[in-house]
This record gives sequence, structure tokens and C-alpha cells, in this order.
Amino acid sequence: MTFRLRSGKKGLELRLHDLEATIMDVVWSRGLASFAVSDVLAVLQKQREIAYTTVMTTVARLHDKQLLRRVRDGKRYLYSPKLTREEFLASTAREVLEGAVGAPGAMAMLVEKVSEASARELDELEALIRRRRRELGK
Amino acid sequence: MSEAAFPLLGAAFVVLAVLPGCALLAKALLVLVERGGGGGLLHGLNARYLLLTGSTFLPLAWFFSAGLHQAESGRSAIACLLDHGAAALCLEPGFFALALCAIALIRSAPVLRGASGLAAAKSGAAQALVQRLEGIVGQEVGQGVAQAAGRTVGPAPELARLRGRIVVTEVEGFALGTQGWLWPRVCVGVAFAEALTDEMLASALGHELEHVRLLDPLRFRLLALALAMNPVGRRLLDPHASTWLSAREAHCDREAVLRGAQPLPLADAIVRAARPTARQAAALGARDTSVLELRIGMLLAFAERAPRRCCRHEPTGLPVAVALLLLALLLPHQAGTGALDALHTGSEQALGALLP
Repeated sequence: MTFRLRSGKKGLELRLHDLEATIMDVVWSRGLASFAVSDVLAVLQKQREIAYTTVMTTVARLHDKQLLRRVRDGKRYLYSPKLTREEFLASTAREVLEGAVGAPGAMAMLVEKVSEASARELDELEALIRRRRRELGK
Repeated sequence: MSEAAFPLLGAAFVVLAVLPGCALLAKALLVLVERGGGGGLLHGLNARYLLLTGSTFLPLAWFFSAGLHQAESGRSAIACLLDHGAAALCLEPGFFALALCAIALIRSAPVLRGASGLAAAKSGAAQALVQRLEGIVGQEVGQGVAQAAGRTVGPAPELARLRGRIVVTEVEGFALGTQGWLWPRVCVGVAFAEALTDEMLASALGHELEHVRLLDPLRFRLLALALAMNPVGRRLLDPHASTWLSAREAHCDREAVLRGAQPLPLADAIVRAARPTARQAAALGARDTSVLELRIGMLLAFAERAPRRCCRHEPTGLPVAVALLLLALLLPHQAGTGALDALHTGSEQALGALLP
């Protein structure tokens, strides 16, 4: 089970997109051992307007990410969490540590990609290079 | 049970006590090397690499070789002679060496699993880029860059060493990198290269040439293996490994400029390569940009004043590492295996104390 880490996020959202994190939070905090998409939808609709298909797609993505297991129940699926919240966060911490030297083993890159949050810093660096080029006439 | 005591307990002791001890010693020495000298980030790159990798590979090699040496017929360890008599063949050290080897392989499996390379693209855009790159690693483009910079040493003769070593790929978001353990090849992303001028591309290839010349993919893989095999490798040595890797990139930038690459186009190419695609941006974790800023700052400074070669940075790190590894393998055969004898008797005594 591998996840990419998200910039500027903490806890669940470090590895999951916002709605994914919200759904897992609902599942874990309410102790849902076995649930259908409609169960999560009912909880979320108390907090905000959200479509059934949106929740269904996100739950399916969580299954693809191996955070949920599912069994068929007639025409629908019943989902259950594969990890506890603690197990998930513990594995996140391990990936953060391993991530520091994971990439160099595979390839020597010109530079590692930076995160979305660093886009402004990249803009500033590009502006600095352009300015220096103008100053030096290159 | 006592026959299995030494192979299992001995191997566990080496992995759980000897390797962490060596990692701790290496960390202390790394702190000294990193603080010492006036070269800053780029100081003592070879020594730091030897400490990072040697602290795991050298003790493993010594114990593995000592185990095999003792298993040879007629060379049984004192502990074996006491247990089995002079005529008996002692296989315990051999099993110890195998157990050690198995543990090392299991621990290094995640690193070895991620060894697949990038496939070459065949599309029209890829073919056009191949032709463009052939022009750049040939004489014409490189000389043009050198003349524009007013430099006496152009990149063309050096970049010519990349002929036959460039792979064009269309993997989404891939920029530029070097892969291949013994025959390194430079992988160029089509979309990335299309956004660069020839000047930028030539300078970026100059950076990758250093990775090729110094067999960096092999070095990086050995470093990852060493950290994976040592149970406390990541915990203790990760910060030093990250610093070394950053320093390595900065070293390649400087070497590229020393060999004729243009600093500002190289800086431009680096910043463009660092920018993630929309999909990558959503997936990437928090990344510290301080190393990137340091490299760009260094290249901006090089644009004002060309760097001077302060010291020889020949590719000595890897040959010395291999020589030390051979020495560790040969040493038990020449200088005795007393430490393994002590481990052998100690393992059996420990088992005797635990299971009277």
C-alpha cells in the first residue's frame, strides 16, 4: 500500500484528499465496521450538500487505495476499514521518513519536484534568474 | 537446538547490535567531517559516502567472509573443535554466513524491487527530440554555447560522451535524470525538453554527464541498500544521507559549469524541472525548497564569477569503497576470525543460560 504525501497538510490529509480524509474520519470516528455508501452520505449531508455519486466515487477510490475492503451485498457494496486510524497514521510517519531517501535509489534526478505550495518560490527563483540574465546581458 | 544457536543468534547479534553500533560510530564521524573543513556542503563528499555505506557493508562483509572461512574443511573454529572434535566438519559458521546473507537480502528487497527503468518513447515528438539531442551532444551546439559564453573550454567534447546514452521518455511529468547501475543513461522527458532552449538543455545535460561519469545511479542504489540493511540506518543516517545527496547535486552543478555549461540556463532548467505537473502537485508531499534555492544561488554566483577547481573530485569514492569491501572479505582469511569465535561461543553460552 503506497501513498503520495500532500504538501502543507497534516494528519489524515497528508496522504488523502480532503473528501477522502473526511470519509475516513467519519468511518473511524463512528466506528463503522461495515457500511454502505448511503450510510456515509447520510452523515455527510448533515454537514454539507453533497451528491451520492461524489461519495460513491470517493469511497471506491479509498477501496482502490486499499484503505477499505468491500463485499457485495445484493446490488450494492458493503465497505469496512482495513486499518485503524492509528495504524494509518503510523504508516504515514514511516513513509515520511522513508521518503527522504526513497527516490535516489532509483535514479539520479536533475532536481526533485517541489510541491504545489512552493510554486510561488519557483516563480520568484525564475524572476531572479531572468533579472540576473538582464543584468549580465545573457 | 544448540546447533542452530550460533547461526541464528549470531546473525541476529550482528544485525541488531554490530550494525547499529557501526551506524552510531559512522554518525559521530559524519558529524565531525560535516563540521570540519572549509568546503561547506561540498566538503568531504567521498569520505562521507564511505562512512554512510561502509558502516553497513564492511561489518557484514567481514562476518560473512569469516563464517565461510571457518566452514572450510580443516579450518573449523575453536568452538567447533570443542563441540565436534577435530575430525568433524563444522557447518555452523557456514549456516551463520547464509543466515546473515538471507537477513541482508530480506532487508534490501524493497530497494531492489524498485529497480525498473524508464522505457524509451517512439512517437514523432520523441523522434524529433532524439534528433535535437543528437545535435546538442555533437559538436555544433556545444561549441556555440561555449563561444557565446566566451569560454575557452566548451561543453561539446564532454557532452559527446553522452552519445548512445540518452533515452527519450514520455512518462508524464518526468524531466531529466540518469538511470542504470553500470551503464548509466540519461533519460529526457519530451514535454520538459520541448520547453527548454538548446542552451538550457545542453547545460542540464552537462549536469547529468557528471552523474554518468561518476556512476551515481550505482552509488545512490548502494547507499539506499546500506541504509535499508542497517536496522537503524534510516533513523541515524538519513539526515546525513539527504545532505550528501543534496551536496552531490550541487557538486554536479559546479562540475558542469567547470566543464563549460552556462550557469544561468542551467539554473533555469533546474527550476523548470522542479515545477510539478498539475497531477503531481496534488500528489507530492511537502518538500523543502532550501536545497533548490541553494543550488540556484550558487549558479547565480557562478554567472558573475566562474568557479575555480579548489580540489580534485575524481571518482575515487567508489573504487575506494570496492577496495575496502575486498579487504573486509579477505581479512578473515589472513588475519584470523577471533571475533567470530567469540560470537560463536557467546551465542551458545547465551542459549545455555536461557535454556538450562
